[in-house]
Amino acid sequence: MKKIIIELKDVVKKFDGETIVDSINLQIYENEFLTLLGPSGCGKTTTLRMIGGFEKPDSGQIILNGKIVNDLPPYARPINTVFQRYALFPHLDVFENVAFGLKNRSIAYLLEFFGEEEIRKELASEKGERIGNADLRKKINKKIEEAVMKALELVKLSGYERRKIEHLSGGQQQRVALARALVNRPKILLLDEPLAALDLKLRQNMHYELKEMQKKLGITFVFVTHDQEEAMTMSDRIVVMKDGVIQQVGTPRNIYDEPINRYVATFIGESNIIRGVCLGGKVKVLDTELETSTEGFAIGESCDVVIRPEDFDVVGPDKGKFSGTVLSAIFKGVHNELIVDIGGTEFIVNSFENYEVGEKIYLKVDPYEIHLMKVTDNA
Amino acid sequence: MHEEFRKLAKPYLVWLYLLAVLPAVVMFGLIFLDTEGVVIETPGITLENFLYLAEPSVLKAFYNSFKFAILTTLLSAVFGYIVAYKVFRSRFRNKFLILVILILPMWSNMLLRIEALGNILERHNIITDLLSRIGIHIGVNLKGTEAGVLIGLVSTYMPFMILPIYTALEKIDFSLEEAALDLGATGLQKFWKVVFPLSLKGVVTGGILVFLPSLSGFAIPYILGKGNIILIGNLIEQNFKEMNYNAGSLLASLILIVIFAALLAVNRVDKEGETLL
Repeated sequence: MKKIIIELKDVVKKFDGETIVDSINLQIYENEFLTLLGPSGCGKTTTLRMIGGFEKPDSGQIILNGKIVNDLPPYARPINTVFQRYALFPHLDVFENVAFGLKNRSIAYLLEFFGEEEIRKELASEKGERIGNADLRKKINKKIEEAVMKALELVKLSGYERRKIEHLSGGQQQRVALARALVNRPKILLLDEPLAALDLKLRQNMHYELKEMQKKLGITFVFVTHDQEEAMTMSDRIVVMKDGVIQQVGTPRNIYDEPINRYVATFIGESNIIRGVCLGGKVKVLDTELETSTEGFAIGESCDVVIRPEDFDVVGPDKGKFSGTVLSAIFKGVHNELIVDIGGTEFIVNSFENYEVGEKIYLKVDPYEIHLMKVTDNA
Repeated sequence: MHEEFRKLAKPYLVWLYLLAVLPAVVMFGLIFLDTEGVVIETPGITLENFLYLAEPSVLKAFYNSFKFAILTTLLSAVFGYIVAYKVFRSRFRNKFLILVILILPMWSNMLLRIEALGNILERHNIITDLLSRIGIHIGVNLKGTEAGVLIGLVSTYMPFMILPIYTALEKIDFSLEEAALDLGATGLQKFWKVVFPLSLKGVVTGGILVFLPSLSGFAIPYILGKGNIILIGNLIEQNFKEMNYNAGSLLASLILIVIFAALLAVNRVDKEGETLL
């Protein structure tokens, strides 16, 4: 059983009377990589900001380690944030930026942070029994310096301590922002579309690095993005949001294979969604009956049938369930993306073989590749 | 730049040479001459004018000028910062309106304003008069004192401080403040470690805009000081009035050098020239 680190209960947030986050319930576990995924304006950033303490919920509770923290200011939460445009301090250099969080703290806080006993023991071995406050302060500053260096090493920016922020590239700034947050050893790290400003290659590298970092440090990462590929690559769980409401929570595979509604199915990956009728162990689509599991659906009930483009198999005429004409074929590198007209409906079909436009092909789908969804009115 | 556009600049260049550069050259020349006004009949070249600088009254005027300029700049910076910060933090929608109201007095004639302020600084003025009618008898005479001059300088030049500071504050990305809070800074730490350092350029710009006119001006000390407080500006004016052009030019040139030095120093510190924008 995984331990819940933070929980949102019926959290509502309104701006100027407009509901941005609509009674969200979400449990976030220790040491997981959770992604809030949705288009802009879906309330994902607002949710993140409420966790960080930058916004207060209008109603509902935010529970951190069993305590309600709705009114706790950001500095009192064991949470740090990597901001969208990094928000690095332009008047400080890299080292000072990373050290900022620790330099703000009181001696008492830092003693606990670095382990008082250890510090006193180290000092005792260096200076003997008499330890003055000045010695203590010096030792703590030394510890801060070490922590900053370690954080910079973690993000592979050793040697950049004295660089000015404006002289760094976007990717480097992003790493400084990460180091600046991680040096405080937060329980939860919030990342607000931190990769949006980077180019594709850099972004893909960061996906792996972030995931690695999260595993290594054992910190909960809450990541906000509108990029479904990003979400799929890194997340342990994905929260798909729309209009301030959570649509579905699940592992990337779970969400991809079993989207709960039309919205999730179209948002995550490409999919063909056709209206069908359940017939008990079978579903009728375009006058064709397909075998599949219809558990949870009544006989005669309308449903949305999801078939992913890669789940179609092109077969011989005798085995094909559908027959259609190729309307267009685009070479995508690994596969060909075909648009196939089947009885007046256009389908996206991925195939490794080449087919000519106008060619007639036959398709089948394995029963386990077909996913049925309840009909909902949200598109 | 297109040739046509360059032509457009010519009238201004003529203007500049005729009314700024040429007089400045004449002024520099006058330092080394011994003349009666600008009548150059038997111009004797001399360095004697420099002896004038050693006179106690001149030294006192220099001392006064710098003292008042520095005090004015410091006071304007403190009060101007508070005002700019309050406006910046206010939730009032039309902040520009507040700023316009602050600047509005600058659009009336400065001499009129100073004279009016002078009246209020006298022992018996319109306010004490009104107060005495309801039985409150207070009144201090500030006109002719150092405090009076300082009040005049600060109230005249403070708007020049408020505007650049406000602009600098407005430019600070709000996410930086959030980042500071996120990194454990309290409100006060956030101000001193993030907001204030990032608004310093505004303070420096405002400082120059306040320091230079209070160093070289003469109307405010003349009217509010009632002749008791002599700044360099007043000495220059006196010298020119008494046809003592050589000494006047010398003092004016020195002030000019100080101004150039100040601008040069700022240029050094801030290579991108952001401060003066």
